[in-house]
Amino acid sequence: MKVDFKLNQKEVNVDVDENTPLLWVIRDVLDMKGTKFGCGKAACGACTVHVDGEAVRSCSFAVKFASGKSIRTIEGLSNGEDLHPVQQAWKEEIVPQCGYCQPGFMMATAALLDKIPNPTDEDIDKNIVNICRCGTYYRMRKAIHRAAELKNEAS
Amino acid sequence: MSKKKISRRKFLVRTSATGGVLLGAMYFGGCGVVKRKIAGIANTAEAPYTGNTDDPMIWFEVSPDNKITLSSPKVEMGQGTFTGMAQLAADELGVDIENIEVKHAASDSGNIDSFATGGSTSIMSLWVPLRELSATMRQMLVNHGAELLGAEPADVEVTKGNITAKGKTLTYGEIAQKVTEWKVPKTPKLKNINDYKYIGKPVPRVDLHDKVVGASIYGIDATMPDMLHGAVVRSTHIGSKYKRADISKAEKMPGVVKIVVEDDFVGVIANSYTEAHNAKDAIQVEWETDREWQTEDIEKMVEVGQGKPVTIQKEGSAKRVLANSDDVISLAYKSPIGGHAQLEPNGALAYVDGEKATVMLSTQVVKITRGEVADRLGISKKNVNIIPTFLGGGFGRRLHTPNAVQAAILSKAVGKPVKCYFSRKEEFQQDTFRPPTHHVLKAKMDESGKLIEAIEHNVSSGDVMYGSPLVPRIAQPLIGSDVGAWRGGMIQYSKIPHYRAVSWRVKLPFATSWWRALGLLANTFAIESFMDELAVKAEMNPVEFRLAQINDDERGSRLKKVIEKAAEESGFQDGVMANGRAMGFAASTDANTPVAQVVEVSIENNEIKVHKVTCVIDPGLAVNPDQIRAQCEGAIIMGMSASMYEKMQVVNGQLTPTIYGPYRMALMKNAPKEINVHILENAETPGAVGEPPLGPIGAAVANAVYRITGKRLREMPLSLG
Amino acid sequence: MKFRSILLMITLLTVVMVSYNFNEVAEVQLEEQSMEAFGTMMEVVMHKRCMNCHPKGDQPRQGEDSHLHYFGVQRGEDGHGIAALKCETCHQKENNLNSGVPGAPHWHLAPRSMAWEGLSRTEVASVFMNPETNGGKSPEEIEKHMTEDDLVLWAFEPGIGLDGVPREKPPVSKEEFIEAVKIWIANGAKIPSE
Repeated sequence: MKVDFKLNQKEVNVDVDENTPLLWVIRDVLDMKGTKFGCGKAACGACTVHVDGEAVRSCSFAVKFASGKSIRTIEGLSNGEDLHPVQQAWKEEIVPQCGYCQPGFMMATAALLDKIPNPTDEDIDKNIVNICRCGTYYRMRKAIHRAAELKNEAS
Repeated sequence: MSKKKISRRKFLVRTSATGGVLLGAMYFGGCGVVKRKIAGIANTAEAPYTGNTDDPMIWFEVSPDNKITLSSPKVEMGQGTFTGMAQLAADELGVDIENIEVKHAASDSGNIDSFATGGSTSIMSLWVPLRELSATMRQMLVNHGAELLGAEPADVEVTKGNITAKGKTLTYGEIAQKVTEWKVPKTPKLKNINDYKYIGKPVPRVDLHDKVVGASIYGIDATMPDMLHGAVVRSTHIGSKYKRADISKAEKMPGVVKIVVEDDFVGVIANSYTEAHNAKDAIQVEWETDREWQTEDIEKMVEVGQGKPVTIQKEGSAKRVLANSDDVISLAYKSPIGGHAQLEPNGALAYVDGEKATVMLSTQVVKITRGEVADRLGISKKNVNIIPTFLGGGFGRRLHTPNAVQAAILSKAVGKPVKCYFSRKEEFQQDTFRPPTHHVLKAKMDESGKLIEAIEHNVSSGDVMYGSPLVPRIAQPLIGSDVGAWRGGMIQYSKIPHYRAVSWRVKLPFATSWWRALGLLANTFAIESFMDELAVKAEMNPVEFRLAQINDDERGSRLKKVIEKAAEESGFQDGVMANGRAMGFAASTDANTPVAQVVEVSIENNEIKVHKVTCVIDPGLAVNPDQIRAQCEGAIIMGMSASMYEKMQVVNGQLTPTIYGPYRMALMKNAPKEINVHILENAETPGAVGEPPLGPIGAAVANAVYRITGKRLREMPLSLG
Repeated sequence: MKFRSILLMITLLTVVMVSYNFNEVAEVQLEEQSMEAFGTMMEVVMHKRCMNCHPKGDQPRQGEDSHLHYFGVQRGEDGHGIAALKCETCHQKENNLNSGVPGAPHWHLAPRSMAWEGLSRTEVASVFMNPETNGGKSPEEIEKHMTEDDLVLWAFEPGIGLDGVPREKPPVSKEEFIEAVKIWIANGAKIPSE
């Protein structure tokens, strides 16, 4: 099946089985490896992308549902030269260790900040439920608060 | 960007100190005293670096734009080793750290480590050799640069990768381009530690930017032209052997290129990941199983008294004292089977082209992976190139890489590159688990009732080291005990007149192996919970109770210092605090790095909530204080996760659960909002960092819970019921 | 005349009496049919496939054992989840056979007023028939919701679970359920006193 959608602002067109998970289309057909496979069952959040601005776990999202939608991945999180406030904050707090889960966390955080510009600790606890095995949650929480500051400063 | 490889010429800078202390000692003999001695060495030894230590040519590449590539024999799995190595190299090379790019050494570069990346040994073991290699490299550039400028090396000034003499300047890059025949100097004297610009500073991770923009390449991200995707049928039941498979349905599935039936496995090659895995699921496999295991069977096997005992520590006559006493306190503790649960599943991308093989993957054992692939394909090791990538979590999970062999066989079958990865269910069921443990601790107090007169720790555990490709089979019976399983299992309270530790080893029916710090978490949980119970019995403050029973030798005084500092920094209080929270204390020395932790805990909705952790670590010289903090924070959270939530079960022959969620792990909401790490540096060289801070956390939490509830939790995962 | 009027009266009375009996019999039959329909309908309504998304707290339940949804998933203000953790973060318009994650159009939680968890079947029926709790729906609208809504009818095609094993379906087929709902509502949607 042919599917058209926008990926990081660019029009793309793929011809794949309509039920192929969006994750694998992004990774293997469109060759963007920043979005990670962790569990394939929407349980870990490593594959989180934005679909029309909403956080979506792409391993469990059939590509046919992407038709006509705008998809954003970690590669498209920043709009150009400058890092997205979430990435900037992640850098300032030196969050990543192995780094594998981090794109998913950053995408989830970016979606959170779009909806709740100044999240409380409770908002963070409830919304950010991805899994990090290295245990970077402590720094991530600091980075999420910092990202909110950076984003508010910018706007 | 084209890089000029410096012409290769073998030379000797420094006599290499190969042959590990531990491995070397293994061959000495088998009597009890020797085994104990070996155990002692393993408990304290500094790990020597066992890869190349004398050829800067295989470590460094200088490009014309003055960038230096450091080819790392150690893999980066989050522990920050690339950053530490860049710091060591930048300081001795005399360049800005931004100009150093660290990349994984492929096995054909010649720069492979004959051990592994693991055991918290990387920076410790490279501390001297990498600085010497860097200094030699710098001197070589200086010498040749001076010659090009018509000056004496002594008159050359080195600044940030440039050399200046007689008013003229050359970059390292320019020198590297101009020199064709390199003369290797003697290793110069290393710089004074106070002159280092990067070592000792909280330098940001060198892989930070790439990891923040999603550009880092992990094993699963590797690609090659014309690549196909593979999937391998794996058994879901413990001990089941592959008999035969019906592939007729799978063969007709969309995207399937070929199905490979080997003696020991069946693999599918298809055009995409999804197609490969869908076809794999359609293969009907007949397995042969002797019995259906249950959790209780496994628990019975690891009861103290069931396996083979080896005394790993003995001081005084604990056995006799305890046997002849009628007021012995004896308590048992338990820990469950633990999964690695790292986020990147295992797998590999392999391309077998005739007699040559290239494999890209996340591995902690480049050399072993190479050997296994060569053996199975029946080709020379020289023809197998292993290209390590970033690891999406290591934790010991990448010490076994049969996945590389499987990918290679599938590739050979189609003559194209094949990438073959585990599903998450396979990852959970085919894990090399942290074995369950059972501990019996016995103690007798002295006449004052305030100090321990005799203590004994019996730990039974599934094997960790036995069966591991890391340890030569011939060495196993000689060392007798399982060095991995009892890590953290020795008594650190050296002032106690009589102490003894006995390790019981059992081979379990499923794969068990190294899991970050191996036995440390469970052993420390048992010993430090027991110490806390004894302190309460003695009506002593648990901190003072511990301090009173540690010798003032070097090891003891370092442990004492972290304990004192942790008590001070946390404002340790024994008992319930005004806000209803309580503190818990625990300490351990692992791989010669002492750590003490104090947790602040409350009970909310019948769940344990950890609010604050104070962690004091003495890793010796701190190469990168920020990354030491990061390792402590991570180890605390991973240790909390394993102590408080995680548990694999064996149900009707299957290891379960097989997905996150049912396999409960710490989430953001469970992580402490405050983690204060304090670094003491009471040793002159860098020590272990990645694993030691994982030790005390479980016991510290259980000890705090006791103060609130009056209930002792002697089994991980800690549950209030 | 007198005789004829008496006869007429008797006839009328007879007719009335007979028809009365007749009505009574018919009514008893209808009542039974309606109650049977009620029972059939409620076997579905009370099933975990429906119940898991009508929880009493702020978290959905899931699975054959109706455990609280993993990862502390929250209902949010509109039952569609919260800022970065919407139902649609994981659940799409149809069951995903690759991941085993269930899906149906407008996958969301029933509102708090429609919490069924812990109620008896008559209490549940009262809750969904009461316009104050059911969002102001008339019986006809309830019938339409229960017999035509894709999310409600998902219960009959719940797909496979994360382990690849088919999810348990309600004990009654979709067709029987729809018929039962229609009969019960057509007969006045009477809730038995239990």
